[in-house]
Amino acid sequence: MGNASYLAVAFEGILLIGALVVLLVAVVAGRSRAVWAPIAGASFLLAALAGVLQWIEVENGGGGMFFSAQNLQVIKSPMVVLDGFSAMASIVLGLVGFTAMLGSWDLVAKVGKRSAEFVALSLLAFAGLHMMAATPNLVVIFIGLETASISFYVLAGFIRADVKSDESALKYFLLGSLASALFLYGIALTFAATGSLTIYGVNSIRDFFSETVVSDPGILLVGMALMLVGLMFKISAAPFHQWAPDVYQGAPSGAVGLMAAGVKIAGFAALGRIFVGGFISQIDTWGPIVAVIAALSMVIGTTMALVQTDMKRLVAYSGVAHSGYLLLTLLAGVEGMSAMWFYLATYPFMIVGTFAIISTVSGPTSTSSPIEAMRGLSRRSPEMGWLLAIFMFGMSGMPFFAGFVGKILAFIAAGDAGYIWLVVVATLTTVIGFAFYLRVVATVFSGEDDDTTMIDPTLSSRFAVVIGATVTVVFGIVPWILIDVVRDALPL
Amino acid sequence: MELVDYLPIALLTLLGIAFAGVSLVLARVLAPSNPTPEKLAPYECGIVPLQEPVQRFPVKFYLVAMLFVIFDVEIIFLFLWAVRMDQFGWAGIATVVAFMLMLIETLAYAWKRGALDWNVSHRTRTRRVVAPEATIEKAA
Amino acid sequence: MTLTISWFLILAAALFSIGVAGVLIRRNALVMFMSIELMLNSVNLTFVAVSRELGLIEGQVAALFVMVVAAAEVTIGLAIIVAVFRRKASANVDELAELRG
Repeated sequence: MGNASYLAVAFEGILLIGALVVLLVAVVAGRSRAVWAPIAGASFLLAALAGVLQWIEVENGGGGMFFSAQNLQVIKSPMVVLDGFSAMASIVLGLVGFTAMLGSWDLVAKVGKRSAEFVALSLLAFAGLHMMAATPNLVVIFIGLETASISFYVLAGFIRADVKSDESALKYFLLGSLASALFLYGIALTFAATGSLTIYGVNSIRDFFSETVVSDPGILLVGMALMLVGLMFKISAAPFHQWAPDVYQGAPSGAVGLMAAGVKIAGFAALGRIFVGGFISQIDTWGPIVAVIAALSMVIGTTMALVQTDMKRLVAYSGVAHSGYLLLTLLAGVEGMSAMWFYLATYPFMIVGTFAIISTVSGPTSTSSPIEAMRGLSRRSPEMGWLLAIFMFGMSGMPFFAGFVGKILAFIAAGDAGYIWLVVVATLTTVIGFAFYLRVVATVFSGEDDDTTMIDPTLSSRFAVVIGATVTVVFGIVPWILIDVVRDALPL
Repeated sequence: MELVDYLPIALLTLLGIAFAGVSLVLARVLAPSNPTPEKLAPYECGIVPLQEPVQRFPVKFYLVAMLFVIFDVEIIFLFLWAVRMDQFGWAGIATVVAFMLMLIETLAYAWKRGALDWNVSHRTRTRRVVAPEATIEKAA
Repeated sequence: MTLTISWFLILAAALFSIGVAGVLIRRNALVMFMSIELMLNSVNLTFVAVSRELGLIEGQVAALFVMVVAAAEVTIGLAIIVAVFRRKASANVDELAELRG
């Protein structure tokens, strides 16, 4: 095991060290934002590099399960798992975190001496997010979820001068804690029914299913349902989505991209790990429920997005619809995981890029951003206007953009699993969805000469937007590069 | 475990309730009761109170109290290590030292930001009036 | 009559239900917050009871971790509620309607 056991936790380790160094610098040297930029950037990039090393290790057959303390017989169940799934999560979270941090840098520059906290919390949150993807232990998944959630509650309320930011943080906190508690009770009931907290290893939940008869299927069913509901809250799938538009609108624009993208990736990674990795033998039980939630998410997200006047609420509702499309991939079981990772490797970059543009146009500390503010963006800042159009095309599922390929893969996965009616719903909502995405694009390219104040984006947000757009376009035109890679991103 | 084992606890609970109840009843029966409006007022002399006193939110020690709760509870992790300290050996000690260093660093950051200095933070806070528009509206 | 695990599980389920009802029905942020803490503690009871019944140590360790997480949540939650209270002089969530929804 040797090196590999450290490699398995390298992502968390690097981000933790990065956060500690940022706080240490803040203690010793006071406010020196110039120093934190390289630390934060290097942490995320090194973490992504660790992900690449993990990937190579897994490809060479070095993956597996690791224990908290290897020579001890105190706890026999594994705590960390190194497989294609967790390595892919490292790469994606590291790169998305790097891009989102670039997009948030305008906000970091605005919050003065509290900027060290912002950077440290972001780093810790992403460490928690990866824990959700890289552990077979349900309690560790919960701890990762809470590490990320608690950090994000703070980020949502970071602008204390604004009552909307406070309100957003309170809503996020109350509903998020409720979801966490439901998830945790689900874990406890699963533990009660199976006597195990682990998905893999000796006496795991999976062994339990394969070898013995479920002693109390009722308790297990409730446990599974509660875990599902808890995670559905986090990924804002309908009907558990009400918090998302309010929180997105009320939180400072500069911080939303970080929160929204990170939670989506890790939430689905945890869903994949628990339900496809652990409860795959019960797919006939949870499959129909997930299908109904997916259909509701697509329909409600699309219809509500049609009537929004605020850019951030629109992206939030479009995120609800995208959660629905992503849920389609879960229905196909292990075969759907590669489709899920293709989606998760492209869609978060569109979120991050869109919010970087919103933050540039409405200001990083702004708490609302009407779509009208985007009017004439193509002339006020041509690059931002064109790139926003690219993100909108990407999210809508226009051919030759990454969102199209992601959706097609998700539809194929659901079709293979036999949910033809769901594919029909998904296709219809995609077509309807074009309406509001194209409305934004039309606004960007309209407006004659009523407002000609030029917008000069900062270098960091420019980088964030360009990285996001590159991912959206490149993987839309030559998707097979990524498809070949994510084919191996499977849970153990 | 038999339910009978819990009998002493149940008896103690009953005894406690009975004692409190008997005391209250005896006080009501034995004490002379001669209420007048003046006696029922909060202050028997002085100006008549116009309204209920404003319930102030005591936030003076809040920050320190919260920091205490956090650092207090984190010590639970040391308990887990201490139970099997002999088995964990030097690796265990190294882990715990690293954990403590992280805690100390966050404490140092909180200190540096002035979170432990409640006098200073109190003074800056009183300058910021609590929701002025609400108070003005109520007075008007 | 013996005290079996089902007593503890039923008690925990009852406490959890009271907590959920509190979050959904009450409109005071502090009370909602306390209800969430009640939910977390009922989960702890489940963990410890199952752990004892099955003779596994994992449940007890999980309970300790949940306690630490709950403490972190308390700190952040109270900080947010205090921030809102200072601004609005009210902890009623219905009065917070700056955001549509």
